[in-house]
Amino acid sequence: MKKPLLIIGFLGIVIVVLLVVRITLVNSISTTGIKLVDIQNQIGDYKRDNELLTQQYLSSAAYTTIAAKAEKMGYVPVSSEIDLSAPLPLALQ
Amino acid sequence: MTWRYRFTLFFFLIIFLFIILRLFYWQVVRAQELSEIAQAQYDEQVVSQAQRGEIMTSDGFSIAADKLAYLVYTNPKVVTDKQAEADALGKLLDIKSATVSALLSIDRFWVPIKSNVDNSVKDKIAAKNLPGVGFQQETVRFYPEASMAAQLLGFVGKDENGNDKGYFGLEGYYDRQLSGKNGYAVVVHDAAGHPILAKMNDSTQVEDGRTLILHIDRRIQFILDTELKKGIVTYGAKSGMAAVMDPKTGAILAMSSFPSFDPSHYQDYSDSLYINPFITDTYEPGSTFKPIVMSAALDAGLLQPNSQCPICSGPVPIGGYQIHTWNDQYFPNTTMTEVLIHSDNTGMVYVAQKLGVNRMLDYLNKFGIGDTTGIDLQGEEAPGLKPADEWYPIDLATTGFGQGIDVTPIELLDAVGAIANNGKRMEPQVVAAVQTPDGQTIPIQPKELDQPISATTAQVMTQMLVDTANEGEAAFARLKGYDIAGKTGTASIPVAGHYDPTKTIASFVGFGPTEDPKFVMLVILNQPSASIWGSETAAPIFYAVAKDILTYYGIPPNN
Repeated sequence: MKKPLLIIGFLGIVIVVLLVVRITLVNSISTTGIKLVDIQNQIGDYKRDNELLTQQYLSSAAYTTIAAKAEKMGYVPVSSEIDLSAPLPLALQ
Repeated sequence: MTWRYRFTLFFFLIIFLFIILRLFYWQVVRAQELSEIAQAQYDEQVVSQAQRGEIMTSDGFSIAADKLAYLVYTNPKVVTDKQAEADALGKLLDIKSATVSALLSIDRFWVPIKSNVDNSVKDKIAAKNLPGVGFQQETVRFYPEASMAAQLLGFVGKDENGNDKGYFGLEGYYDRQLSGKNGYAVVVHDAAGHPILAKMNDSTQVEDGRTLILHIDRRIQFILDTELKKGIVTYGAKSGMAAVMDPKTGAILAMSSFPSFDPSHYQDYSDSLYINPFITDTYEPGSTFKPIVMSAALDAGLLQPNSQCPICSGPVPIGGYQIHTWNDQYFPNTTMTEVLIHSDNTGMVYVAQKLGVNRMLDYLNKFGIGDTTGIDLQGEEAPGLKPADEWYPIDLATTGFGQGIDVTPIELLDAVGAIANNGKRMEPQVVAAVQTPDGQTIPIQPKELDQPISATTAQVMTQMLVDTANEGEAAFARLKGYDIAGKTGTASIPVAGHYDPTKTIASFVGFGPTEDPKFVMLVILNQPSASIWGSETAAPIFYAVAKDILTYYGIPPNN
């Protein structure tokens, strides 16, 4: 009778240990999905910000934009000979 | 006790039998169907959109990139004051209020109002808290320089399945490389809808598109765009085009044509503007073709720069036609250099006759006339050349001065580039390198296509063209202190079987500085009204651009 009791006792302990491990594991990974969603949202936000900043940079640095702004501010292209000994007029209008 | 025992046993057996049968029904008979229903509940196929590759000029500036935009939609069923909402949306989205009002009257739960809406506009609409209005994020193609090099770039539209697809220009030619491949992943959700990390199955990896790094120099492109646009207005031309190439490598540094379009809003323009005329339009080049024919005669050893023309004292009769000079002035015994300086048609008839049909065709083929150049842009045309047995004496004579023969502008630019490059003809290339998403850069090597003339002939021809530029009809516009080789062209346009004397294609082709050529350029104006002559219209544009390029490259005058 001793052997069956030992086996049953051992199996009982194994079951308890496995239960504890399972509960611990489930507890630790149960929030990973939520964290994943948070991280994905953050990545999305950063990507969006990055794209918007890139757009702003490209729009501002485009020659067509710079030329239009320069013209509005009075800059004119120098069409005459350039004399390096005298300072160049930048804004003429 | 026995009957109770048996009853209990039998009862449980029946119960288990039912359970087994039910399980068999679920897991075997309806297994496929239930599995699909379950998968639909917890599986979600997520598409990772491949980012389209950028197109960068040689200075690393993106002239075509993806941009974040929004589709503004509404649910008309929850809109209470339709007129007020139509007015507000119409004002912010730059659409007529009546159009928005009509959309709000549609009996649906989801009605799109406008796509490609900027983030700033979206924020303004969102701040108004309009009932029923929502936003859907989308990616659209963005061209920061607007219409700059539009026909060279092409645009991105949709294919029959609604996916992005490049059309025309670089977007069309390199569409597969720019597009990349979408990735697909199956994500399993828990009961709360959160993804289960351990169950993520990334079935195919997303592969972003490759980036194109161009030979196009944004500064030269801007200069060319500005001067060409100005020239078209000044000389009242119907249209115009121009391109600048590095003759040593075939690198296309700039390519412009007007009228043009904004590739970001290509739908607002006529389809005819999408085509790049510099590689598709065929025209009779006129006198800009003379350097090609003259080079052939010099290279064949038939003529020298100081050889005299024995038939140049008056109009030349050929096959019932009289070949005149452009101004009806004639120079007896004129030299070959003077033939180019005076742009003498009768002199070129003599050159063409010296060459003969077979030799002419042989050289034209070597110069790439009639064939595609292989430029990496979608839609290049090749007008072809007539076979030798279909050439009449008048065809040979008129080909000598660039009439009765069709070329594309890129063919002519490439052919003249060979003269600038010691006789070596290079393949015109727009893309310098392809960059993979992991940062690896794959350069595209220059390609020599042919050597139509020897280096010696090229040098002799270059000097003749310098003399032509300095002493010819366009000498007033030349850049003092620089050796620029060039030739004007005023080609008549064939209309209903004859040439219309009032409609011309004015052009100028040249390269410089001749001691170490940095550029070869062709400028073409279609039907200028201020003057029909290339020397008075295209040449000033050529020299204005050349001056700015030389200043940009920091090349000082040599005398």
